[in-house]
Amino acid sequence: MMPPKIIAVGYDGSPDSEIAVRWAMHLAVEIGANVVVVHAAGLLEHLHARFSREETPAGVLALAKECGINEARLYWHVDEGDACSVLLRATGPPVEADLLVVGSRGQGQHPGLLLGSTSLELAEQSSTPVVVVPLSWRDE
Amino acid sequence: MVLVVSGKYDDSGHEDPGHPERPDRVAAVDAAVDDLHLGSDLVVVPAYAATRSELTRVHDGTYLDELGAFCYAGGGDIDQDTYATYDSWSIAKLAAGAGLAVIEELQRRQDGVGFVTARPPGHHALANRAMGFCLLNNVAIAAAALVAQGERVLIVDWDVHHGNGTQQIFWDEPNVLYVSTHQWPLFPGSGTASEVGGWHAIGATVNIPLPAGATGDVVRRAIDEIAAPVIDAFEPTWVLVSAGFDAHRADPMANLELTSGDYAEFARTVASYAPGPGRLAMFLEGGYDLVALRSSVEATLSSVLEKPCEVEDRSSGGPGSDQVLRSKAERVAALEMMHESAGEEAQS
Repeated sequence: MMPPKIIAVGYDGSPDSEIAVRWAMHLAVEIGANVVVVHAAGLLEHLHARFSREETPAGVLALAKECGINEARLYWHVDEGDACSVLLRATGPPVEADLLVVGSRGQGQHPGLLLGSTSLELAEQSSTPVVVVPLSWRDE
Repeated sequence: MVLVVSGKYDDSGHEDPGHPERPDRVAAVDAAVDDLHLGSDLVVVPAYAATRSELTRVHDGTYLDELGAFCYAGGGDIDQDTYATYDSWSIAKLAAGAGLAVIEELQRRQDGVGFVTARPPGHHALANRAMGFCLLNNVAIAAAALVAQGERVLIVDWDVHHGNGTQQIFWDEPNVLYVSTHQWPLFPGSGTASEVGGWHAIGATVNIPLPAGATGDVVRRAIDEIAAPVIDAFEPTWVLVSAGFDAHRADPMANLELTSGDYAEFARTVASYAPGPGRLAMFLEGGYDLVALRSSVEATLSSVLEKPCEVEDRSSGGPGSDQVLRSKAERVAALEMMHESAGEEAQS
Protein backbone atom coordinates (compact mmCIF):
# COMPACT_ATOMS: atom_id res chain seq x y z
CA MET A 1 0.00 0.00 0.00
CA MET A 2 1.32 3.43 -0.96
CA PRO A 3 1.38 6.10 1.73
CA PRO A 4 -0.92 9.08 1.08
CA LYS A 5 0.49 11.93 -0.97
CA ILE A 6 -2.20 14.53 -0.30
CA ILE A 7 -3.84 14.81 3.12
CA ALA A 8 -6.98 16.95 3.36
CA VAL A 9 -7.85 18.03 6.88
CA GLY A 10 -11.01 19.84 7.97
CA TYR A 11 -10.58 23.12 9.81
CA ASP A 12 -13.17 25.43 11.35
CA GLY A 13 -11.09 27.13 14.02
CA SER A 14 -12.36 24.88 16.81
CA PRO A 15 -9.96 23.13 19.22
CA ASP A 16 -10.97 19.78 17.70
CA SER A 17 -10.06 20.89 14.22
CA GLU A 18 -6.73 22.30 15.43
CA ILE A 19 -5.86 18.90 16.89
CA ALA A 20 -6.76 17.28 13.58
CA VAL A 21 -4.60 19.75 11.64
CA ARG A 22 -1.70 19.13 14.01
CA TRP A 23 -2.04 15.35 13.55
CA ALA A 24 -2.21 15.70 9.76
CA MET A 25 0.86 17.93 9.69
CA HIS A 26 2.89 15.55 11.84
CA LEU A 27 2.01 12.68 9.52
CA ALA A 28 2.83 14.76 6.45
CA VAL A 29 6.27 15.57 7.84
CA GLU A 30 6.88 11.87 8.56
CA ILE A 31 5.91 10.61 5.10
CA GLY A 32 6.62 13.64 2.89
CA ALA A 33 3.01 14.32 1.95
CA ASN A 34 1.27 17.60 1.16
CA VAL A 35 -1.37 18.95 3.54
CA VAL A 36 -4.47 20.77 2.29
CA VAL A 37 -6.28 22.51 5.12
CA VAL A 38 -9.91 22.63 4.05
CA HIS A 39 -12.55 25.01 5.37
CA ALA A 40 -16.26 24.50 4.67
CA ALA A 41 -17.99 27.88 4.21
CA GLY A 42 -21.54 27.62 5.50
CA LEU A 43 -24.61 29.72 4.74
CA LEU A 44 -23.91 32.26 7.44
CA GLU A 45 -20.40 32.90 6.15
CA HIS A 46 -21.94 34.88 3.32
CA LEU A 47 -22.93 37.37 6.01
CA HIS A 48 -19.87 37.07 8.22
CA ALA A 49 -16.80 35.61 6.50
CA ARG A 50 -14.68 33.89 9.15
CA PHE A 51 -11.67 33.15 6.97
CA SER A 52 -10.12 34.67 3.87
CA ARG A 53 -10.35 32.51 0.78
CA GLU A 54 -6.91 33.54 -0.41
CA GLU A 55 -4.80 33.79 2.73
CA THR A 56 -4.01 30.89 5.03
CA PRO A 57 -5.22 31.79 8.54
CA ALA A 58 -2.58 32.81 11.04
CA GLY A 59 -3.66 29.97 13.32
CA VAL A 60 -2.91 27.40 10.61
CA LEU A 61 0.45 28.99 9.80
CA ALA A 62 1.34 28.88 13.48
CA LEU A 63 0.50 25.18 13.63
CA ALA A 64 2.59 24.59 10.50
CA LYS A 65 5.57 26.29 12.10
CA GLU A 66 5.11 24.33 15.30
CA CYS A 67 4.93 21.03 13.41
CA GLY A 68 7.88 21.88 11.19
CA ILE A 69 6.07 21.44 7.90
CA ASN A 70 7.56 23.07 4.83
CA GLU A 71 5.25 25.88 3.64
CA ALA A 72 5.61 24.60 0.08
CA ARG A 73 3.74 21.49 1.22
CA LEU A 74 0.89 23.45 2.84
CA TYR A 75 -2.25 24.57 1.00
CA TRP A 76 -5.40 26.43 2.12
CA HIS A 77 -8.69 25.57 0.44
CA VAL A 78 -12.14 27.08 1.09
CA ASP A 79 -15.20 25.45 -0.47
CA GLU A 80 -18.93 26.15 -0.11
CA GLY A 81 -21.06 23.69 1.81
CA ASP A 82 -21.30 21.59 4.93
CA ALA A 83 -18.13 20.03 6.30
CA CYS A 84 -18.94 16.49 5.22
CA SER A 85 -19.76 17.38 1.60
CA VAL A 86 -16.77 19.67 1.29
CA LEU A 87 -14.36 17.02 2.56
CA LEU A 88 -15.89 14.39 0.29
CA ARG A 89 -15.43 16.75 -2.66
CA ALA A 90 -11.80 17.25 -1.62
CA THR A 91 -11.07 13.70 -2.82
CA GLY A 92 -11.71 14.96 -6.37
CA PRO A 93 -10.21 17.85 -8.34
CA PRO A 94 -8.67 20.26 -7.60
CA VAL A 95 -7.54 18.85 -4.22
CA GLU A 96 -7.37 15.10 -5.08
CA ALA A 97 -6.80 14.07 -1.46
CA ASP A 98 -6.06 10.43 -0.76
CA LEU A 99 -6.53 10.74 3.00
CA LEU A 100 -9.16 12.71 4.91
CA VAL A 101 -8.61 13.85 8.48
CA VAL A 102 -11.17 15.38 10.84
CA GLY A 103 -11.52 16.14 14.51
CA SER A 104 -13.97 14.09 16.50
CA ARG A 105 -16.43 16.95 16.47
CA GLY A 106 -16.37 20.40 14.93
CA GLN A 107 -17.84 23.71 15.84
CA GLY A 108 -21.40 23.51 17.08
CA GLN A 109 -21.45 19.73 17.24
CA HIS A 110 -22.51 18.14 20.44
CA PRO A 111 -20.57 15.36 22.14
CA GLY A 112 -22.33 12.04 22.21
CA LEU A 113 -24.88 13.02 19.59
CA LEU A 114 -25.00 11.44 16.16
CA LEU A 115 -27.02 14.37 14.86
CA GLY A 116 -24.78 16.40 12.56
CA SER A 117 -21.72 14.25 13.15
CA THR A 118 -19.31 15.03 10.32
CA SER A 119 -16.88 12.30 11.32
CA LEU A 120 -19.52 9.59 11.39
CA GLU A 121 -21.10 10.60 8.10
CA LEU A 122 -17.71 10.95 6.47
CA ALA A 123 -16.71 7.48 7.59
CA GLU A 124 -19.95 6.13 6.13
CA GLN A 125 -19.76 7.88 2.79
CA SER A 126 -16.09 8.26 1.90
CA SER A 127 -14.34 5.80 -0.38
CA THR A 128 -11.05 7.41 0.66
CA PRO A 129 -9.59 6.46 4.07
CA VAL A 130 -10.73 8.72 6.92
CA VAL A 131 -8.90 9.41 10.18
CA VAL A 132 -10.85 10.82 13.11
CA VAL A 133 -8.52 12.44 15.61
CA PRO A 134 -9.78 12.51 19.19
CA LEU A 135 -9.55 15.73 21.17
CA SER A 136 -7.38 13.88 23.69
CA TRP A 137 -4.62 13.17 21.12
CA ARG A 138 -1.27 14.65 22.00
CA ASP A 139 1.94 14.40 20.01
CA GLU A 140 4.47 12.34 21.95
CA MET B 1 -59.09 32.22 -8.18
CA VAL B 2 -58.72 31.62 -4.45
CA LEU B 3 -55.47 31.68 -2.53
CA VAL B 4 -55.16 28.86 -0.01
CA VAL B 5 -52.61 29.73 2.67
CA SER B 6 -51.41 27.86 5.71
CA GLY B 7 -52.77 29.23 8.97
CA LYS B 8 -50.59 30.84 11.57
CA TYR B 9 -48.96 28.64 14.13
CA ASP B 10 -46.81 29.80 16.99
CA ASP B 11 -43.28 29.64 15.59
CA SER B 12 -41.80 32.10 18.08
CA GLY B 13 -40.05 29.29 19.94
CA HIS B 14 -37.83 28.55 16.95
CA GLU B 15 -35.54 31.53 17.11
CA ASP B 16 -31.86 32.17 17.74
CA PRO B 17 -31.24 35.87 18.45
CA GLY B 18 -29.37 37.47 15.57
CA HIS B 19 -29.94 34.55 13.22
CA PRO B 20 -31.36 35.62 9.80
CA GLU B 21 -33.91 32.76 9.73
CA ARG B 22 -36.34 34.36 12.17
CA PRO B 23 -40.05 34.71 12.91
CA ASP B 24 -40.18 38.22 11.39
CA ARG B 25 -40.00 36.56 7.98
CA VAL B 26 -43.48 35.14 8.46
CA ALA B 27 -44.80 38.57 9.40
CA ALA B 28 -43.39 39.93 6.12
CA VAL B 29 -45.16 37.20 4.15
CA ASP B 30 -48.42 37.79 6.04
CA ALA B 31 -48.16 41.50 5.22
CA ALA B 32 -47.69 40.65 1.54
CA VAL B 33 -50.86 38.55 1.59
CA ASP B 34 -52.73 41.35 3.36
CA ASP B 35 -51.52 43.79 0.69
CA LEU B 36 -53.46 41.79 -1.90
CA HIS B 37 -56.86 42.50 -0.22
CA LEU B 38 -58.26 39.16 -1.32
CA GLY B 39 -61.35 39.21 0.87
CA SER B 40 -63.33 36.00 0.42
CA ASP B 41 -60.80 34.77 -2.13
CA LEU B 42 -58.41 34.11 0.75
CA VAL B 43 -58.78 30.70 2.39
CA VAL B 44 -56.77 29.95 5.52
CA VAL B 45 -56.31 26.31 6.51
CA PRO B 46 -54.92 25.40 9.93
CA ALA B 47 -51.57 23.66 10.01
CA TYR B 48 -51.36 20.30 11.73
CA ALA B 49 -48.33 18.42 12.98
CA ALA B 50 -47.19 16.01 10.26
CA THR B 51 -47.40 12.40 11.43
CA ARG B 52 -44.45 10.08 11.68
CA SER B 53 -45.63 8.08 8.67
CA GLU B 54 -45.86 11.29 6.62
CA LEU B 55 -42.34 12.27 7.67
CA THR B 56 -40.76 8.86 7.12
CA ARG B 57 -41.71 8.96 3.45
CA VAL B 58 -38.60 11.14 3.10
CA HIS B 59 -36.70 11.14 6.41
CA ASP B 60 -34.95 8.29 8.23
CA GLY B 61 -36.75 7.27 11.42
CA THR B 62 -33.46 7.35 13.34
CA TYR B 63 -32.86 10.93 12.29
CA LEU B 64 -36.35 11.94 13.39
CA ASP B 65 -35.84 10.29 16.77
CA GLU B 66 -32.50 12.06 17.26
CA LEU B 67 -33.85 15.43 16.21
CA GLY B 68 -36.81 15.12 18.55
CA ALA B 69 -34.60 14.02 21.44
CA PHE B 70 -32.09 16.81 20.74
CA CYS B 71 -34.84 19.43 20.86
CA TYR B 72 -36.44 18.03 24.01
CA ALA B 73 -33.01 18.10 25.65
CA GLY B 74 -32.94 21.84 25.06
CA GLY B 75 -31.52 22.02 21.53
CA GLY B 76 -28.47 24.02 20.47
CA ASP B 77 -26.37 24.38 17.34
CA ILE B 78 -26.63 21.37 15.04
CA ASP B 79 -23.93 22.75 12.76
CA GLN B 80 -22.37 26.13 12.05
CA ASP B 81 -25.58 27.37 10.38
CA THR B 82 -28.44 25.38 11.84
CA TYR B 83 -29.97 25.66 15.27
CA ALA B 84 -32.77 23.97 17.14
CA THR B 85 -34.54 24.88 20.36
CA TYR B 86 -36.78 22.98 22.75
CA ASP B 87 -39.78 23.98 20.59
CA SER B 88 -38.18 23.37 17.19
CA TRP B 89 -39.31 19.75 16.83
CA SER B 90 -42.98 20.66 17.33
CA ILE B 91 -42.68 23.71 15.08
CA ALA B 92 -40.90 21.78 12.32
CA LYS B 93 -43.65 19.16 12.31
CA LEU B 94 -46.22 21.96 11.99
CA ALA B 95 -44.26 23.46 9.08
CA ALA B 96 -44.33 20.09 7.33
CA GLY B 97 -48.01 19.59 8.15
CA ALA B 98 -48.87 23.09 6.90
CA GLY B 99 -47.87 22.02 3.40
CA LEU B 100 -49.90 18.84 3.61
CA ALA B 101 -52.95 20.76 4.85
CA VAL B 102 -52.74 23.26 1.98
CA ILE B 103 -52.49 20.46 -0.57
CA GLU B 104 -55.44 18.61 0.95
CA GLU B 105 -57.53 21.80 0.71
CA LEU B 106 -56.52 22.36 -2.92
CA GLN B 107 -57.47 18.75 -3.68
CA ARG B 108 -60.83 19.19 -1.97
CA ARG B 109 -61.60 22.37 -3.89
CA GLN B 110 -59.93 21.34 -7.15
CA ASP B 111 -59.27 25.02 -7.47
CA GLY B 112 -56.96 27.76 -6.28
CA VAL B 113 -53.28 28.29 -5.65
CA GLY B 114 -51.52 27.36 -2.41
CA PHE B 115 -48.90 29.24 -0.43
CA VAL B 116 -47.27 27.62 2.58
CA THR B 117 -45.61 30.02 5.00
CA ALA B 118 -43.49 27.32 6.55
CA ARG B 119 -40.53 27.94 8.78
CA PRO B 120 -38.08 26.59 9.46
CA PRO B 121 -37.52 26.21 5.71
CA GLY B 122 -36.80 22.79 4.29
CA HIS B 123 -34.99 22.34 0.99
CA HIS B 124 -31.49 21.75 2.44
CA ALA B 125 -32.70 19.08 4.88
CA LEU B 126 -31.39 15.68 3.81
CA ALA B 127 -33.11 12.38 4.51
CA ASN B 128 -30.88 11.89 7.53
CA ARG B 129 -29.48 15.31 8.42
CA ALA B 130 -30.46 18.87 9.21
CA MET B 131 -28.45 21.60 7.50
CA GLY B 132 -28.65 25.09 6.01
CA PHE B 133 -31.27 26.34 8.54
CA CYS B 134 -33.52 23.36 7.60
CA LEU B 135 -34.76 20.58 9.88
CA LEU B 136 -37.48 18.79 7.89
CA ASN B 137 -37.83 19.00 4.13
CA ASN B 138 -41.33 20.49 3.83
CA VAL B 139 -41.63 20.50 0.06
CA ALA B 140 -40.28 16.95 -0.20
CA ILE B 141 -42.74 15.69 2.41
CA ALA B 142 -45.59 17.22 0.39
CA ALA B 143 -44.25 15.85 -2.91
CA ALA B 144 -43.85 12.37 -1.42
CA ALA B 145 -47.46 12.44 -0.22
CA LEU B 146 -48.58 13.29 -3.76
CA VAL B 147 -46.37 10.61 -5.32
CA ALA B 148 -47.93 8.09 -2.92
CA GLN B 149 -51.28 9.04 -4.49
CA GLY B 150 -49.94 8.33 -7.96
CA GLU B 151 -49.17 11.92 -8.96
CA ARG B 152 -46.24 13.14 -11.08
CA VAL B 153 -44.75 16.11 -9.28
CA LEU B 154 -42.67 18.94 -10.69
CA ILE B 155 -40.68 20.80 -8.02
CA VAL B 156 -39.33 24.15 -9.17
CA ASP B 157 -36.77 25.51 -6.71
CA TRP B 158 -36.03 29.19 -7.35
CA ASP B 159 -34.30 29.81 -4.01
CA VAL B 160 -30.85 31.31 -4.59
CA HIS B 161 -29.25 28.26 -2.96
CA HIS B 162 -29.36 24.80 -4.49
CA GLY B 163 -31.90 22.54 -2.76
CA ASN B 164 -29.47 19.73 -2.12
CA GLY B 165 -31.83 17.99 0.30
CA THR B 166 -34.72 17.82 -2.15
CA GLN B 167 -32.38 16.68 -4.91
CA GLN B 168 -30.95 13.93 -2.72
CA ILE B 169 -34.35 12.70 -1.55
CA PHE B 170 -35.75 12.37 -5.09
CA TRP B 171 -32.47 11.53 -6.85
CA ASP B 172 -33.74 8.16 -8.02
CA GLU B 173 -37.50 8.89 -8.09
CA PRO B 174 -38.87 9.01 -11.65
CA ASN B 175 -42.20 10.53 -10.56
CA VAL B 176 -40.57 13.71 -9.31
CA LEU B 177 -38.89 16.21 -11.64
CA TYR B 178 -36.63 18.55 -9.67
CA VAL B 179 -35.65 21.83 -11.39
CA SER B 180 -33.42 24.30 -9.58
CA THR B 181 -32.08 27.73 -10.51
CA HIS B 182 -29.40 28.90 -8.10
CA GLN B 183 -26.23 30.92 -7.71
CA TRP B 184 -23.11 28.82 -8.10
CA PRO B 185 -20.61 28.56 -6.59
CA LEU B 186 -22.45 29.16 -3.35
CA PHE B 187 -23.62 27.10 -0.38
CA PRO B 188 -24.23 24.15 -0.37
CA GLY B 189 -21.81 23.65 -3.26
CA SER B 190 -23.93 21.08 -5.11
CA GLY B 191 -26.15 21.73 -8.13
CA THR B 192 -23.94 21.47 -11.19
CA ALA B 193 -25.59 20.87 -14.54
CA SER B 194 -24.00 17.43 -14.76
CA GLU B 195 -26.10 16.23 -11.78
CA VAL B 196 -29.04 14.80 -13.73
CA GLY B 197 -30.59 12.13 -11.46
CA GLY B 198 -30.03 8.51 -10.51
CA TRP B 199 -30.20 5.35 -12.62
CA HIS B 200 -33.96 5.03 -12.19
CA ALA B 201 -34.58 8.71 -12.84
CA ILE B 202 -32.08 9.74 -15.49
CA GLY B 203 -32.79 13.35 -16.44
CA ALA B 204 -35.30 13.97 -13.62
CA THR B 205 -32.93 16.42 -11.95
CA VAL B 206 -32.34 19.69 -13.81
CA ASN B 207 -29.79 22.09 -12.37
CA ILE B 208 -29.28 25.60 -13.66
CA PRO B 209 -26.26 27.16 -11.91
CA LEU B 210 -25.92 30.92 -12.37
CA PRO B 211 -22.97 33.22 -11.69
CA ALA B 212 -23.07 36.05 -9.16
CA GLY B 213 -24.68 39.11 -10.73
CA ALA B 214 -27.01 37.15 -13.01
CA THR B 215 -30.23 38.98 -13.84
CA GLY B 216 -33.76 37.88 -14.68
CA ASP B 217 -33.23 37.74 -18.45
CA VAL B 218 -30.49 35.13 -17.96
CA VAL B 219 -32.70 33.03 -15.68
CA ARG B 220 -35.56 33.24 -18.18
CA ARG B 221 -33.30 32.09 -21.00
CA ALA B 222 -32.03 29.20 -18.90
CA ILE B 223 -35.56 28.09 -18.03
CA ASP B 224 -36.68 28.34 -21.65
CA GLU B 225 -33.68 26.53 -23.11
CA ILE B 226 -32.84 23.94 -20.45
CA ALA B 227 -35.83 23.30 -18.20
CA ALA B 228 -38.94 23.91 -20.33
CA PRO B 229 -38.42 21.00 -22.78
CA VAL B 230 -37.85 18.59 -19.87
CA ILE B 231 -40.94 19.84 -18.04
CA ASP B 232 -43.09 19.54 -21.16
CA ALA B 233 -41.94 15.95 -21.67
CA PHE B 234 -42.49 15.08 -18.00
CA GLU B 235 -46.15 16.21 -18.06
CA PRO B 236 -46.52 16.97 -14.34
CA THR B 237 -49.87 16.50 -12.64
CA TRP B 238 -48.81 18.75 -9.74
CA VAL B 239 -46.41 21.68 -9.42
CA LEU B 240 -44.71 22.57 -6.13
CA VAL B 241 -42.38 25.53 -5.77
CA SER B 242 -39.54 25.89 -3.32
CA ALA B 243 -40.13 29.61 -3.23
CA GLY B 244 -37.06 31.26 -1.81
CA PHE B 245 -36.83 34.98 -2.33
CA ASP B 246 -33.13 35.38 -1.53
CA ALA B 247 -32.20 35.79 -5.21
CA HIS B 248 -33.59 39.32 -4.88
CA ARG B 249 -30.87 41.93 -5.38
CA ALA B 250 -31.44 43.34 -1.88
CA ASP B 251 -30.99 40.03 -0.08
CA PRO B 252 -27.84 39.82 2.05
CA MET B 253 -27.32 36.06 1.66
CA ALA B 254 -26.31 35.95 -2.01
CA ASN B 255 -25.44 37.97 -5.11
CA LEU B 256 -28.08 37.50 -7.78
CA GLU B 257 -29.81 40.63 -9.07
CA LEU B 258 -33.46 39.66 -9.36
CA THR B 259 -36.36 42.03 -8.68
CA SER B 260 -39.96 41.56 -7.63
CA GLY B 261 -40.84 41.97 -11.33
CA ASP B 262 -38.70 38.93 -12.13
CA TYR B 263 -40.47 36.87 -9.48
CA ALA B 264 -43.84 37.90 -10.93
CA GLU B 265 -42.76 36.66 -14.34
CA PHE B 266 -41.24 33.40 -13.06
CA ALA B 267 -44.42 32.72 -11.08
CA ARG B 268 -46.52 33.18 -14.21
CA THR B 269 -44.26 30.80 -16.12
CA VAL B 270 -44.24 28.17 -13.38
CA ALA B 271 -48.02 28.40 -12.95
CA SER B 272 -48.39 27.62 -16.64
CA TYR B 273 -46.78 24.19 -15.99
CA ALA B 274 -49.68 23.18 -13.70
CA PRO B 275 -52.18 21.04 -15.62
CA GLY B 276 -55.18 22.81 -14.11
CA PRO B 277 -56.45 24.82 -11.14
CA GLY B 278 -55.78 23.52 -7.64
CA ARG B 279 -52.49 21.89 -8.61
CA LEU B 280 -49.93 24.55 -7.71
CA ALA B 281 -48.53 25.13 -4.22
CA MET B 282 -45.61 27.32 -3.19
CA PHE B 283 -43.49 26.75 -0.10
CA LEU B 284 -41.53 29.54 1.59
CA GLU B 285 -37.82 28.75 1.68
CA GLY B 286 -35.25 31.58 1.95
CA GLY B 287 -35.61 35.35 1.76
CA TYR B 288 -33.92 37.37 4.50
CA ASP B 289 -34.39 41.02 3.55
CA LEU B 290 -37.85 41.67 4.92
CA VAL B 291 -38.77 44.48 2.51
CA ALA B 292 -37.66 42.46 -0.53
CA LEU B 293 -39.39 39.37 0.86
CA ARG B 294 -42.70 41.21 1.26
CA SER B 295 -42.60 42.82 -2.20
CA SER B 296 -41.47 39.61 -3.91
CA VAL B 297 -44.16 37.46 -2.28
CA GLU B 298 -46.80 40.03 -3.20
CA ALA B 299 -45.53 40.16 -6.79
CA THR B 300 -45.49 36.36 -7.01
CA LEU B 301 -49.00 35.89 -5.66
CA SER B 302 -50.53 38.78 -7.61
CA SER B 303 -49.07 37.28 -10.76
CA VAL B 304 -50.52 33.78 -10.29
CA LEU B 305 -53.84 35.19 -9.04
CA GLU B 306 -53.93 37.76 -11.87
CA LYS B 307 -54.40 40.65 -9.44
CA PRO B 308 -53.00 44.13 -10.08
CA CYS B 309 -49.80 44.92 -8.18
CA GLU B 310 -46.96 47.38 -8.54
CA VAL B 311 -43.71 45.53 -9.09
CA GLU B 312 -40.12 46.54 -9.75
CA ASP B 313 -38.91 46.48 -13.34
CA ARG B 314 -37.54 43.16 -14.49
CA SER B 315 -33.76 42.99 -14.37
CA SER B 316 -31.50 42.40 -17.34
CA GLY B 317 -27.96 42.76 -18.62
CA GLY B 318 -26.16 40.64 -16.02
CA PRO B 319 -23.62 37.92 -16.70
CA GLY B 320 -24.40 34.26 -17.24
CA SER B 321 -25.50 33.72 -20.84
CA ASP B 322 -22.30 31.80 -21.55
CA GLN B 323 -22.85 29.78 -18.37
CA VAL B 324 -26.32 28.79 -19.61
CA LEU B 325 -24.80 27.44 -22.82
CA ARG B 326 -22.13 25.55 -20.89
CA SER B 327 -24.76 24.09 -18.54
CA LYS B 328 -26.84 22.94 -21.48
CA ALA B 329 -23.82 21.17 -22.98
CA GLU B 330 -22.79 19.66 -19.62
CA ARG B 331 -26.28 18.29 -19.09
CA VAL B 332 -26.40 16.74 -22.56
CA ALA B 333 -22.99 15.14 -22.02
CA ALA B 334 -23.97 13.77 -18.60
CA LEU B 335 -27.22 12.33 -19.96
CA GLU B 336 -25.41 10.69 -22.89
CA MET B 337 -22.89 9.13 -20.53
CA MET B 338 -25.60 7.77 -18.24
CA HIS B 339 -27.69 6.40 -21.10
CA GLU B 340 -24.60 4.72 -22.59
CA SER B 341 -23.73 3.17 -19.23
CA ALA B 342 -27.32 2.06 -18.70
CA GLY B 343 -27.29 0.47 -22.17
CA GLU B 344 -24.04 -1.38 -21.48
CA GLU B 345 -25.43 -2.59 -18.17
CA ALA B 346 -28.56 -3.90 -19.86
CA GLN B 347 -26.51 -5.76 -22.49
CA SER B 348 -24.14 -7.41 -20.01
